[in-house]
Formats: sequence, C-alpha cells, structure tokens
Amino acid sequence: MCNVWFSYRDGDDVLKSVSIRVQQGEFLALIGQNGSGKTTLAKHLLGLLHPREGKVLIRGEDIHGKPVGEIARRVGYVFQNPDHQIFSATTREEISYGPRNLQLGEAEIVRRTERAMERFDLKVHAEQQPATLSFGTRRKVALASIYAMDPQIWILDEPTGGLDWRSEQATMTLLHELNEAGKTIVLITHDMRIVAEHAKRCIVMSEGRVVAIDETRRIMEQAGVLEITPPQVWRLACAFDLQPLSLTAEEFCWEYGRRLATESEISVSRS
Amino acid sequence: MHDTDPRVKLLMLVLTVVLLLVFQNLWIMLASWLLILILHRSAKVPRDRIRFLLRALLPVTILMPLIWVIFYPAGEVVISIGFINIRGESLAQGLTVALRIQAMTFAIFAVLFTTDTDTLMQGLVRLRMPYSWGLMLSLALRYVPNFANSYSSIHQAQQARGLEYESTRGLKRVREMMPVLVPMIIGSFRSSEQMSIALEARGFGVPGVRRTYLSVIRFRALDWVLVALGLIVAMALLALNLAYGFGTDPIAIFP
Repeated sequence: MCNVWFSYRDGDDVLKSVSIRVQQGEFLALIGQNGSGKTTLAKHLLGLLHPREGKVLIRGEDIHGKPVGEIARRVGYVFQNPDHQIFSATTREEISYGPRNLQLGEAEIVRRTERAMERFDLKVHAEQQPATLSFGTRRKVALASIYAMDPQIWILDEPTGGLDWRSEQATMTLLHELNEAGKTIVLITHDMRIVAEHAKRCIVMSEGRVVAIDETRRIMEQAGVLEITPPQVWRLACAFDLQPLSLTAEEFCWEYGRRLATESEISVSRS
Repeated sequence: MHDTDPRVKLLMLVLTVVLLLVFQNLWIMLASWLLILILHRSAKVPRDRIRFLLRALLPVTILMPLIWVIFYPAGEVVISIGFINIRGESLAQGLTVALRIQAMTFAIFAVLFTTDTDTLMQGLVRLRMPYSWGLMLSLALRYVPNFANSYSSIHQAQQARGLEYESTRGLKRVREMMPVLVPMIIGSFRSSEQMSIALEARGFGVPGVRRTYLSVIRFRALDWVLVALGLIVAMALLALNLAYGFGTDPIAIFP
C-alpha cells in the first residue's frame, strides 16, 4: 500500500498518506483506537474501498479497477459482525456460497464445504438455519465460509469479539495453523493480550496515520508514546522489574521462575 | 424553516399534497417543483441530499412520460419516432405526473430534513397521535441512516465472498440481491426486538404515566401568520380551480 489517502464522501481524510508493506506468510496485527482507520485500511486490501490517491498492490499488482470478487480469490475478509453475511437456509449452503461464487466445480465445492464444516465442528449444524445458531457458532460459520474459499491472505476484523475463552482459543489456534501453512494473517483487534500472544509484527494507527510499524515486543516497549495499553502480563512484568519483559503468561512464568531460581541458586531448564 | 413549529410544517405539507393532487397543469407543477427546491436550498439542505433524491427519483421521472406517451395517447402528434407518435397532451400529462411525484417527495423530505425527530414526534403527539405511534415513527426515521449503513456493511461482506449483482437486471438481480436483503431483514428483526426490550426495561408503556419533555414546542406569532397565510393561499387556489378551471388543463393554465 503506497501513499494511500482516503475520505468518505464530503468527509475528512480517514487515511492520510498510509504506506505499509505486508510480507507473505506473516502474522500481523493492526491496532489503534476506535476511529483510527484500521477497518478502512483493511477494506482497501480487498478493493471494497478505493484510495483517492495512492496505490494498493497485491504481489506487485495494482488492484485498482479489479472486481472485488476476483480479489476475493486471494484475500479473505472476515467481518466483525457475522450476521452481516449469514443469509442461507442451511449452514451447508451458507459455507458453500463463497466457493460457488468462485465458480469452482461442484465436486470441489462439496469437498471444501465438508472440510470447512469438519474443521469448525459445524457438521452437527449442517442442515440447521445458521441465523438461529448461537453467536459463537454464527461466528464459526462466518470463519468457515472464508475458510472454504481458501484465500492466501486472511483479514480478520475483531474475530474474537464476544467469544468465550474456549472459542477464542479455537479461533486463534486456527489462525496459527493457517499461518504455519503459509497464509498471511492480518488481525484487527483491540485485545492487546491476543496481539502480544500471537502477532509477530504490529501496525499502530492513530487518526488515519500509521504511527508505528515494528515487532510486537518493540511496540509494547513504546506503549506509552503510542498511547496503547500493553497486556496485563506485560504490566505485571514491569511491576516485578523482569527483564526481558513478558509478552505471554508462559514467558512471565519462565522469567519469574528463573529469577526465583537465581535468588535461591537453583538451576532450572525452560522445559 | 428549521425553527417553524412542526405542526405548521405538517399542515403545510398536507395543503401542498392536496394542491399537487388537485392541479393537472404542467406549468403549475413545474413552478411548484421549483418552489419546493428553492425552499430546500433556503433551508440549507445539503446539496448531496438533494442530488440523492433527484437520483433516486430519476427512474420514475423518465418512466412516467414514457408510459403516458405510449399508453395514453391524447392531443396532436408533435414528433414521430419510428412507430411511436409523441402527442403534446400525453407528454404534458406524463411530465406533470413525474413532477408531481418529485414535488411531493421533496415536500415530505423538506419537513424531514428540517425537523428534529423528537420535535416531529412531539408535534404529532400534540396533534392527538398516541405517544407510542409517534415514538414508532420517530424511531423508524432515526433508523434510516442505520439501515443505510447496515446495507453498506452487508453488501461489502457479501462482496468479500464474491457477490456481484451490479451487472444483472430484473428478477435475476432481485435473486442475486438475496444475500444482502436476508441479513438486513434478520438484522432488523433482531434490533427491533432488542429495542423493544430496552424500551420496556426503561419503563416505556408504564400505565398512568403522563409524559413530559425536556423542551416543549410552542406556537409563536410567526407560526400563526404562516398557518393563516397557508390556508388563505390554499383556499384561494382551490377556489380559482373550482370556479375558473385554474390548472385543470394539462398545458393551458386557464382553459
């Protein structure tokens, strides 16, 4: 994305000279306060919005003028609200809608749909109306719908919002599996714990500008300047004056355990 | 116009609609339409809203003269295009209907664009409409922008799954739009249910409670003047119409 400027009709600039580069296969978090332009930026990556100035390139190819349906073959976008996409009479039909739009063969559509339902434990709801399922299950249906389209790049807008811990873990495990399989993950979230635990790199936005792009640890170190609140475990590590500071509970346990061991002259191993 | 009492605006709207329905003359309709557009501009209604209405009404504006020319031939042939004979009177009638629809729509939106929904509801309640009906109308109006936002989000969500219906027409387009329409309908039902629960949770509908308002609308001297002027002008125009056939001919103002 090079020098992108964007404003909604007759409005102020929502994106101001945004230039970012997302590497293939990376796990990236897009963070910032409400109204900072995260979602607007992400929508440019799928061609849902078009820059007033600047370019959006996918693998070096300018996506200007390309139909969203064509870009959707490579870029999957999971919207914040699953209810914005659910319309079919059954979960199976709902999941097969995307692959059908990609004009795949019937056998491939069935294969992808079944695989997505299996991956998200939705087989039991296959013939149920997705709109009547619980919120967590509807979110799974939304994820499965994109999973069935098998895009190379995944953009997820608050994918864990409103989910319980178990569902959140399942969603993040899936994203890790996809990332390990070479997919690019762009995660939009306010949950700094998730960012710290999962994202390798962060883009911080404020008032339509990119104010920082760096590794997650470096971003957390600059939290005060960037006006973001680091996760609790990071703040706890600060309070305990641990070095290096911890991004995850596991890191905290290890560092704290190491300090206790040093103090009591016990040798410990990371395992 | 923004400061005028909502009851005055509603009365003016009723009178305007009645007069627009009574008159059949193209020039009167054109003058009314222009007057209402000037009213919009003088009330500082943003240009993009006016453009939006004009765009939305464009199909009707084109279709009406076409229907009249093809199905209701009347008067002398003015132009012949192939097998279609365009007759002066039928073209005038078609244009009159198109302008009438435009003028009525703009008149309704002039009230909506210049009246805060709470003030409008209070005005309707003071005109003896039950409070629950007034609130229903006010909520419906307030939800129009939400509905538009919801349409945009749902459309984008389905585009992200490969939906493309812009190039389709007619019934096929309606069928292709289902992935957008169904979530909108389901979403509306969900939010209406949540809204009714939220209203009840805050004491809406408790019997024997007399409602009060933070700011109460009152008729001012100017409002009385406007009511009197509106009624006099409307009566005069109606009298001219009944006595001398003013505005009854599609082309000539006085037949």
